[in-house]
This record gives sequence, C-alpha cells and structure tokens, in this order.
Amino acid sequence: MKYVDEFRDGQLAQKLAREIEALAEPGREVKIMEVCGGHTHAIYKHGVEHLVPDEVDFVHGPGCPVCVIPMGRVDDAIALAERPEVMFTTFGDMLRVPGGRGSLLEAKARGADVRMVYSPLDALELARRNPDREVVFFAIGFETTAPATALTLLRARAEGVRNFSAFCNHVTIGPPLRAILDSPGLRLDAFIAPGHVSTVIGTRPYDFIVEEYGRPVVVTAFEPLDILQAVVMLLRQLREGRCEVENQYTRVVRRDGNPRALAALEETMELRDTFEWRGLGWIERSALRIRPELADWDAEARFELPGDRVEDPKACQCGEVLIGAIKPWECKVFGTACTPERPIGTCMVSSEGACAAYYNYGRLAVPV
Amino acid sequence: MSRDDCITCSDQAVQARVVEVDGPNATVEVDGRREQVGIELVEPVEPGDALLCHAGIALEKLS
Repeated sequence: MKYVDEFRDGQLAQKLAREIEALAEPGREVKIMEVCGGHTHAIYKHGVEHLVPDEVDFVHGPGCPVCVIPMGRVDDAIALAERPEVMFTTFGDMLRVPGGRGSLLEAKARGADVRMVYSPLDALELARRNPDREVVFFAIGFETTAPATALTLLRARAEGVRNFSAFCNHVTIGPPLRAILDSPGLRLDAFIAPGHVSTVIGTRPYDFIVEEYGRPVVVTAFEPLDILQAVVMLLRQLREGRCEVENQYTRVVRRDGNPRALAALEETMELRDTFEWRGLGWIERSALRIRPELADWDAEARFELPGDRVEDPKACQCGEVLIGAIKPWECKVFGTACTPERPIGTCMVSSEGACAAYYNYGRLAVPV
Repeated sequence: MSRDDCITCSDQAVQARVVEVDGPNATVEVDGRREQVGIELVEPVEPGDALLCHAGIALEKLS
C-alpha cells in the first residue's frame, strides 16, 4: 500500500537501528518523550522499543485527549446525555471513559440517547434529520480534531441548523508540554512532537522548547521507520550539540501549518483562562471554548451543566503515567484491577493510552 | 476511517485518495472503503489527489 509499505521496510528499520546504536553513548541514558498517543501506540504495536538500545528510553507524554479529560467533564457530558430532549453524539472512544458517575455507555444502558459518530459532520447530519431533537456533539481532541468541530460549527451557522451544539473540550498541545518541562524532578532530553497536530499548527509552536528549555524536538509521522528516523535525528542533535526543531514529516507538515485550519479555529473558538487536565492539574490557556458569537451552537451556553470537579480514583496512577514519572506497568492496578475491559483510569481506556497500548502489545516482556 | 484505532486521538489521521468532488465535500477511498470528507481546508481538490483526513475532514494535501 502506497505511503505505508515503504515506511515499514524491515531492512531499512535494521539500518536505522544500527545507526541509533552507533549514535547512542554507552551508559548515557537518553530520555525521549513521545508527546502523542499515536506515537505511543505505534512504538508498542511495532515493537520499536525493542529496536533501540537500552540507553534510549521512550517516555510517554500527555498527547492522548481521551486520557487527559478530567472526570468532571465526563460527568457534564453524562448530564447532557441524560436530558430528555438531547441526542448526545460522541466518538466511540469516549463511551467507556469513567467519570464520577459512571460512563456514557452506562448512561446509554440506563436509557440516555447516546450515539457514536466518526465525525462532528455526522452529528450535524443527525441534527438535520431529527429537527425535534437537540443534537449535542462531545467535542474533544487536540488541534488535529478541533478543525473538524470548527468546520461543523461554521456549516451549522451557515445553514441555520439550530438544534445542533458542541460541548467543547478541545485542548492545545503547547501548554501541557510547558507544564511537563516545568515539573520538578523530571529529566527529559528530547521530544518527538506530534505529526498531525503539527499539520494544523505547524512547527513554530515548539520553538519555546528549544529556545527556553534547550531540548531538541523532531516532528514525526507514525510509521515505525518515521519514529526510528526521528530518534536518529534527535541523537544526532544531542551528539553535535545542536538544539533545533526539525521536521521529519515533510511530506505533510509545513512550518506554518495549515493557515485555513487555523483561521477556522480562530473564527469559532477562543482560549479558556484555564482548564483542568487529568494528571497535570489546572493549566492556564490550555483549552478552547466556543466564541460568544457562536453561543447558539455552544452546549455550555445553552444547557445548565453540573460543572463539578471530581477527584481521580485513589488507586489510579494515570497522572504519573501521563507525565512520564512511572511506566504503565509500575502502576499498582495495571493489568489487575485496571484492564481495557474494565478500566479504572483513562490511560487504559483509549487504545492510544500508554497503559492500553502496553497492555495490548507489550506485556510479554514484563510479568504483570 | 481507520477503525482499529482511537478516532478521538488528535493525531490519528489517514491518507485517502479523492474519487469525486461535490461542493464542500469529497468522496475519498481508504483501503477500498468510500467515505465523505469536508474539504474546505484544502480546496481546490481534484480526483486522484491524496488527502490527510481526520474526523470527517481533510486536513492537508499530501505532496
């Protein structure tokens, strides 16, 4: 398959692995944070961690939107879904995420009208077809997903679809990275930055990581060879004493991102003063809300929400996993009380979550 | 799109080939499946173009 097979070539992978071996300094550990859940998933699925020497340690970052959504927002979503007039639409991945009052799937079992969609545009179509229902879309995700919500809001306004609204939980990638870089005791040497978020925002938003924190960054795609090449590029930077934002994913990502996508975001959404992240706490200017001009399509403006803050379960160590302080299997409940079938923490819910990825693909090496 | 993966993941996007363009939407083909995506962010688009798609919209043209 074009654009896939050439990035999974076994011989090329071996060549890159040898290059990494040669670049790694024996005994000097290099901690590389892959920010994005997509990379975490690919690293485990393809066994990339076994192709690099012990000196290279992958630390899994906060880039899984399902994993970072606080439980209180899930409860707000459930409260919306339980309103009799509401048809609540969500990506399937959010269905099993536990809030303080159970999950959306459990709300559906109790009779709430919860529908799974693959796109907010599908939710808008449901609104067109069901004019007597209030269709609410659970908008979550980083800058890759936010443009789909933005376009849907613009279409809803242009067409005057009044029974559609979005419950906006979109987040931005820069502020949590700064929060991680500011957290005490954390030692990270370099970053693999998300490929598709960068398709939208470009590579400039990572400049602060090299300029203010002196850590090299490589924006990378998702095939195993892409990730191995990113490791080569990062190790070369470290070896040569360079510190730059490099772009490995030149086939898609441009320095300035996609200006039209950014304009659609600017037109429909604005930064919140602060937003709670699971495991990271409150981070200033790290999330988006719908602009007041579009309040008619903003579920938060149109419906009363509980808005309660919910503490994470005590046994759950998702917070430490999310900042890379512990590995998934080091969590007390990993693979025992917390499994993909019955998750306690969000990192086990999403297939991009570090715990689920490790549970599904990587656990042969470590006894549970 | 790629059904095995988490579609919420902000970084999951798939490469698709344009089959037909119809106003602000295009029919694209991924692994033999056909789907509709919004193309406002990448217009103009022609049949045969490769697009990077996520959550029902095209985010970028592949060069």
